[in-house]
Amino acid sequence: MSQTPSPLSGRPLDRTYVPTTGVPARLVLPEPDCFTLSCGAAVRLLERHDLPVVAVEALLPGGAGATPVAHAGLATLTADMLDEGAGGRSALALARTLDGLGAGFDSVAGYEDSRVRLWVLSPRLPEALSVMADVLMRPTLASDELDRVRCERMDTVLQLRDEPGSLAADALASLLYGPGHPWGQSLLGTRASLGGITRDDVVRYHAERYQPGNITFVVAGDVTEAVLRELLEERFAGWEGRTESSGIECAVPEPDGTVVHVLDRPRAAQSEVRVGRISASRCTPDYFSVVALNTILGGAFTSRLNARLREEKGFTYGAHSTFHMRRSPGPFIARAAVHTPVTDQTVRVILEELTRLVEEPVPEGELERAKRYVALRLPQAFEALGDLVTRIAEQVLYGLPEDYWATYVPQLLAVDRQEVRAAAQRYLDPQSMTVLVVGDRAAIEERLRGLEIPVRLLTEEAA
Amino acid sequence: MSNAAGDGPHPMLRVPWELHELPNGLRVVLSSDASAGVVGVNLWYGVGSRNERPGRTGFAHLFEHMMFQGSANIPKNGHFELVERAGGSLNATTWFDRTNYYQSLPSHQLELALWLESDRMGWLVPALTQETLDNQREVVKNEKRQRYDNQPYGDWDERLHAMVFPPEHPYHHAVIGSMEDLDAATIDDVVEFFRTYYVPSNAVLSIAGNLVAEHALDAAARWFGEIPRGGPIPPLPGCPELPPRIGETVRDEVRARVPLPRTLIACRIPTIHDPQFHAIEVAGAVLGTGRGARLYRALVRQRRLAKDVVAYVYPLTTGASMLVVWATGYPGTDCTELEAALVQQLEGLTSVTDREVERAIALTDTRFVRLLEQVSERADMLSMFTLMFDDPDRVNREMDYIRRVTATDLRTVAQEWLGPDNRAVLAYTPDS
Repeated sequence: MSQTPSPLSGRPLDRTYVPTTGVPARLVLPEPDCFTLSCGAAVRLLERHDLPVVAVEALLPGGAGATPVAHAGLATLTADMLDEGAGGRSALALARTLDGLGAGFDSVAGYEDSRVRLWVLSPRLPEALSVMADVLMRPTLASDELDRVRCERMDTVLQLRDEPGSLAADALASLLYGPGHPWGQSLLGTRASLGGITRDDVVRYHAERYQPGNITFVVAGDVTEAVLRELLEERFAGWEGRTESSGIECAVPEPDGTVVHVLDRPRAAQSEVRVGRISASRCTPDYFSVVALNTILGGAFTSRLNARLREEKGFTYGAHSTFHMRRSPGPFIARAAVHTPVTDQTVRVILEELTRLVEEPVPEGELERAKRYVALRLPQAFEALGDLVTRIAEQVLYGLPEDYWATYVPQLLAVDRQEVRAAAQRYLDPQSMTVLVVGDRAAIEERLRGLEIPVRLLTEEAA
Repeated sequence: MSNAAGDGPHPMLRVPWELHELPNGLRVVLSSDASAGVVGVNLWYGVGSRNERPGRTGFAHLFEHMMFQGSANIPKNGHFELVERAGGSLNATTWFDRTNYYQSLPSHQLELALWLESDRMGWLVPALTQETLDNQREVVKNEKRQRYDNQPYGDWDERLHAMVFPPEHPYHHAVIGSMEDLDAATIDDVVEFFRTYYVPSNAVLSIAGNLVAEHALDAAARWFGEIPRGGPIPPLPGCPELPPRIGETVRDEVRARVPLPRTLIACRIPTIHDPQFHAIEVAGAVLGTGRGARLYRALVRQRRLAKDVVAYVYPLTTGASMLVVWATGYPGTDCTELEAALVQQLEGLTSVTDREVERAIALTDTRFVRLLEQVSERADMLSMFTLMFDDPDRVNREMDYIRRVTATDLRTVAQEWLGPDNRAVLAYTPDS
């Protein structure tokens, strides 16, 4: 903390050195209070009284991973339907109430979770929580609203077929997980799957999944435990139930050597390039090695992929990589949108960078920089109330230990070069990557074939 | 050094601030928050795409990229590297009226940010090379391809500006500019732009977060104090004056590779300095913020004519600003039907109720408080209010202005600014 004058104060200025001053402020990590409501729902509360606001999240495991492929989109459609009328109030009446409270409110579903989220000034929390209770427990799920929401959704799906980044994301998920796996589908579903979802399906999904025994309320902000407990008990009294299973177990295809898949987009202004494979689970014991590895490869601006593809070559506005870690192994994806004539070179560079991480130990200095980058950023991850809620929800969703954030930095700093290389060998084998290019086939195919990697053409239906 | 301090109360939240001016004209705004573990360092330069001369559209943004390519004491990418290594995050954006640069860092790294920012404000030129210019030119061209050319409706902003602002007006062209003009940019252009606009007297430095004001000011003065003030900022190119309204309904009908029909309408409106601007912001929220908003209720729910709707008010300063509404139809929806429905909503604002105004104000209030949760946003707003209004305390009074807006004000807005003599209509029809 800069509570003392800088040691540089009063000295002549030397601009040739990086100024070093002070020591990091001690990060005060959240230690939420935990309690259980009589309806069975768990609560994690982190009190913070510096601003008169409260953030609440009702977190439910499940999500798209819990719905069969034929019903792709059911989890997100149900989430969308929750506030289209509830507790005897119409959708517009609900919206008017929430807008009048100045509340932020939404209801979403991901690959393995559903969430209803609220952000409101603390004096208005009681009324806003009443709306949340209606939405969770008593959604109307009316047929005519479902028809409208479905219709909008189907056209959104149509719209996204013209967005190259979105096309690439869906096509890659399908290639990696296969057509039979829920994660191989877009969260939004397809026009076909959406068309087949009935009101009964939505009602059943809600009844099965939105049960108090599965919910954790994650709360941060200006409310005390006594007040919150009373507010929640009043609103959720009498609700009961719990669902055991939270996902569908489903085999994933084994990658069979590296292949370049091309999805043609005639006259595209750029190529969207993806290189991916199924990689690590969020609960993997080598989690921190993976974090360090990805930071070196493509997690930061100065990472290898961006340094080469953007700052050295000018091929792209940005190149990045991410391990999308979930409870079961999620995809690793490296991505860049590049100028069409350099599509093949981009694929080559990305594969080269993977090879380099697998074959060569990373220099000590580079690893040190990556670890510092992640470790020192931690305070930013705990800045706003929404951040606090997200961090606590992450612990709940993945069953991370109570002291997870307290031990985060030491665990990360302990990662060494051998562990990074082992993680690269485990997850980034350049011989088993799925490469996808969404771009102008006529302009790129021949040069892609020159890479001496099998090239397969995708049709949009297959993607 | 001159200084002033703010003490205007805000019922929800008060952002403390103090404003200082260094002898070279750099304004320094400090805002302390002991609870934050981070510090936000933010610079607004009073230069944007409106300052670009003919044949150099997109240059202000390309220049912004060059600010990350090193300066006298910092190598190419050193800025990114050092900030990331210190656990910070950083970026910059270019807009019509300004360019901002910002980083959030653990609070003890304040001096690092000041060193980096002052080195490029004072000594960018020694590091400039043709190679880095060519590299960043390619990066920016790829940014244009990725964000505009390869996106459905990607040129909407460019097309609307071209209709709402006449060719000689500095807002006639979009910030991203044209490929030809990006190709034409030279090192000499970079040097001249730097010497003209990137001077202390044309900038505001805001520091918010965990800091002791006295020490932060001392540090700012040490790092920035020796940079020469710079000359006067040249007048804007072209003709910034323009009639308050477009004068008619102008149209641009596009057949393009888009999946669904979309109609956009833009109106020329007063600038952010006009007292009516707050009423127009509330009008934008009545039309477009939240599900209780008029466009959503009427076009999406009641008539089921559109699948999504948007209303947005541009905060611009020069001659006029712009309000934009749009609606995306379903396959086969006729663009003229979308236009008629949007027009009906614009004109229908004359019947706005007190309750709708209250709703819009409540939502605007929430958004504002939510933004201020983060020190980086606080610093950004302090820079904005200081550069644009010479008044950092606007951060504490802005919501008061919004709260005073009445239904009568909105009726006036609708009558004066949203009529058929002041509309630009852009319609996208799928070309299949």
